[in-house]
Amino acid sequence: MAPRINGVGIRPEETRICVVMVGLPARGKSYIAQKAQRYLKWLSIPAATFNVGNYRRNDAPHPSADFFDTNNAEGERKRRAAAEAAVVDMMKWFKSGGVVGILDATNSTKERRKWVLDRINQEGIDVIFVESKCDEEELIMANIRDVKTTSPDYQGQDPEQAALDFRNRIRNYEKVYKTINEDGDEDHLTYLKIMNVGRQVIINRIQDYLQSRIVYYLMNLHIRPRSVWLSRHGESMLNLEGRIGGDADLSHRGEEYALKLPGLVRESVGSDRPLTVWTSTLKRTIATARHLPKHYNQLQWKALDELDAGVCDGMTYQEIADMYPEDFQARDEDKYNYRYRGGESYRDVVIRLEPIIMELERSEDILIISHQAVIRCIYAYFMQKTQEESPWVPVPLHTLMKLTTRAYGTEVEIFKAEVKAVSTWRGKGSTAKHEDPIPEGGV
Amino acid sequence: MSGRLFHSGRIAIVMVGLPARGKTHICVSMARYLSWLGVKTRIFHLGDYRRATVGQGGHVPQDYFYPNASPASVMLRQKILKKCREDIYAWLNHENGQVAIYDAVNPTASGRRALAKEFAKHDVQTLFIESFVDDQEILKENARNVKISSPDFHGMDPDEAAKRYLKRIETKIPVFETMAEEELNYIKMINAGQAFFYNNVSFNYLSHRIVFYLTNLHIKHRTTFFVRAGTATEEDSYKADAPLSAEGEAYAQVMAETLVRHREQERQATIDQGGPDVPLRPLTIWTSTRLRTIQTAEPLRELGYKVRHRSQMSQINPGVCEKLSERAIRSLYPEEVEKHELDPYHHRYPRAESYHDLAVRLEPIILELEREQNDLLIIAHESVLRVLYSYLMHCSTRDIPKLKFPRDEIIEIIPAAYQNEAKRVHIPGLDPKMIPGSPEDIRIPVPPGSEDFGGRQLTPISIPAMIMGSPPSATEVTIGFFGKTGDRKGSVSIGGGDRKGSISVSNNGGLRSVSGSFSGGERPVTEKIVNNTAKEMVEDKVADED
Repeated sequence: MAPRINGVGIRPEETRICVVMVGLPARGKSYIAQKAQRYLKWLSIPAATFNVGNYRRNDAPHPSADFFDTNNAEGERKRRAAAEAAVVDMMKWFKSGGVVGILDATNSTKERRKWVLDRINQEGIDVIFVESKCDEEELIMANIRDVKTTSPDYQGQDPEQAALDFRNRIRNYEKVYKTINEDGDEDHLTYLKIMNVGRQVIINRIQDYLQSRIVYYLMNLHIRPRSVWLSRHGESMLNLEGRIGGDADLSHRGEEYALKLPGLVRESVGSDRPLTVWTSTLKRTIATARHLPKHYNQLQWKALDELDAGVCDGMTYQEIADMYPEDFQARDEDKYNYRYRGGESYRDVVIRLEPIIMELERSEDILIISHQAVIRCIYAYFMQKTQEESPWVPVPLHTLMKLTTRAYGTEVEIFKAEVKAVSTWRGKGSTAKHEDPIPEGGV
Repeated sequence: MSGRLFHSGRIAIVMVGLPARGKTHICVSMARYLSWLGVKTRIFHLGDYRRATVGQGGHVPQDYFYPNASPASVMLRQKILKKCREDIYAWLNHENGQVAIYDAVNPTASGRRALAKEFAKHDVQTLFIESFVDDQEILKENARNVKISSPDFHGMDPDEAAKRYLKRIETKIPVFETMAEEELNYIKMINAGQAFFYNNVSFNYLSHRIVFYLTNLHIKHRTTFFVRAGTATEEDSYKADAPLSAEGEAYAQVMAETLVRHREQERQATIDQGGPDVPLRPLTIWTSTRLRTIQTAEPLRELGYKVRHRSQMSQINPGVCEKLSERAIRSLYPEEVEKHELDPYHHRYPRAESYHDLAVRLEPIILELEREQNDLLIIAHESVLRVLYSYLMHCSTRDIPKLKFPRDEIIEIIPAAYQNEAKRVHIPGLDPKMIPGSPEDIRIPVPPGSEDFGGRQLTPISIPAMIMGSPPSATEVTIGFFGKTGDRKGSVSIGGGDRKGSISVSNNGGLRSVSGSFSGGERPVTEKIVNNTAKEMVEDKVADED
């Protein structure tokens, strides 16, 4: 039976990559590492981050700035031991099936980079260095304030004092810091250097497709906090009948939502700043967007069309359960991988959404009006939902979601239109009909 | 809607770099990729304008490229630039062009700044792409390729000729400033892709695609094979996703045997011709996630070949047209049929995918294909083969919906520097019933005249061989368009079987065109698409630059 066949998805064989972060403290390395990990996992590529700082804290939980002075032999020894411990754990993880390991540390000297490279190559794993280099004072300060005053290193300390100490720590790093290939003798390395948050980028000796994917993704990241708005289409005529898929018009209440949407959007934006609206190519999303102000740019993407239910398109859950009982059950067991006969699985949708995510990462102020399964996949990307969770996330009709990305995670705000609609949610293992989602079920 | 694809505005891609830096290769590859994506793209070679202005056999003055050139030379330079730019604007404004690739040396920072400013005035974004080479080996290699046919170097030691040629460039263009303009968008490609430098002011989606593409672009020597999936039990249903029929399974077996035998024969032939006795490159198989393609790969998988399933490679979605006869479609959706006939590549029936949608969906596959090191067998539905084939062989988008892949042939695509080459390997002993096009294909009506494809037909594998510089005859105008508007030099022709230099085709003794519907020349030239006539361009350049 078809749905069982796909399992490996886009995972490439035999390529294992260690992404080694490089850069002074407060340059957004952890942010980049975390984003890369989230992106890869969303694409079903096993990825994990190994933060050397966490290993070092076992030994030196609250070090002061002179711990990081290169003349401090004790500090130097402990930091080296922490790096070694992180690499050892990473190697274990690779042996258990890891594909992309991220080593999050400063790696700010040539000697350290050489050590890392030799150590990891020895295990038959490719190394790609990713450096974030930034000399815009304002950005660095913002980073220091946001992240480091909440760092476990400074827990319980006076924030002013902590910031001062942290800047001294950076100064100690600066004394020995060498950007990659500064002396011209690291040209053999595979590396990506992002300068001033992507203003300039250098790519050197990228070897294979997966590396180029990671590099391309990181090039598209930008670090400023910003929001993405998500909404499903208004209730459709098929929603009323409990039928899935199709290309129906809006119901009366769906129309009502479309009329209320502009106000809801303005309220959530907090100003008259225009958003760019992305819809699918299906009638119900285009109709939902049509009352938005004229100066909002509107674009249709085929990739935002609803999950294709194949033979089940236009059927109710009851009809599906009657006609394809095995399928109905198989879908409950592994909804992420279940592919409708002649249609798509959630995994398939994720793959086709990848260019959309790429574009979202680059853009600001986007409102996406799409469909339940598609919104779930986009939501899963931002909220780091697992494959077990993401297909079950309740995304009610007539509700606007605002996702705001912060350094460590994403915030969600919900705006309800107060227009009644049928529920289109069905719990795992439940009867074949739509029901009300459990109140605490997220979203 | 922006009215243009990918919601990006109009873009001028401006090349920067001295001769022998591989600019032509970059231009041509990029144009191929973009036009395949459905972006209307055209290359404007400044050299063509120079030639047109100074006339056949004429030369630009000695100081033409000098920063302190004489007033007369400056005037001439400006006149040539103006003409070229006017053509670019005319094409963008009146022919709905989207990406103009402006191929010139553009050696100075001041000149580039002025250019970007001028394009901005016309509401055109500028992206500079510099090919910077300081690796002497690459330079020599490029020079060798460029001057191959120049009579000046006839009989000379190739290394010596290359050295002289590079020297000549230096004398002719004494000032070249590599890009460092912070306020401009640019990509610097260093030593043919070994490193890249991006200065990113305001890249849009399309620029990013270009960046990603360039990162993945490299010349490789592996072969790609295409075959159809075997016949399934429910041939006419898209949604059913039916398994292979008994005939389909037999087909999969014969196909596998033929492919394995063919690869072994090719290897033997290389050895017989004095080539090295090296083992075959590993073969990887990509199928879609549709059952029949997966099952078609089964005999090969059993032989130990690696098979990967790619959900992006599912056949084109027929939407409402599924299971409808052409007559039914015409009577149920007359307005859609009308729209479809106007633009069969972009038009999308309700809930269906257009070929353009399919190309966009397949794009990640293309990029991965560019990177793949192993030989590759792609087993997919005809619609998917059409789109992938058209990328590799650079067919016009308007021909894509009409390409045919009979089941009794394995298509072998062999890469070459500027234009790939396609071969067909016959699969013997198949039931003739299963050979023709897909019964499960969408019966979307195609414009009248193209139904004369019954039975065995050929796809335009003849393209690569036909660009060797012979002028096109009047009956064949589809692709190609270089230099001045109206100048049809260098266009690629499809059709006509009597071309010298065309590669041999074992079928029907001729190069029947996919675009057979317009053979006879009555078809108006409504669209021109940049095509790959790089070799010819290179010859021109030699004449120009030496």
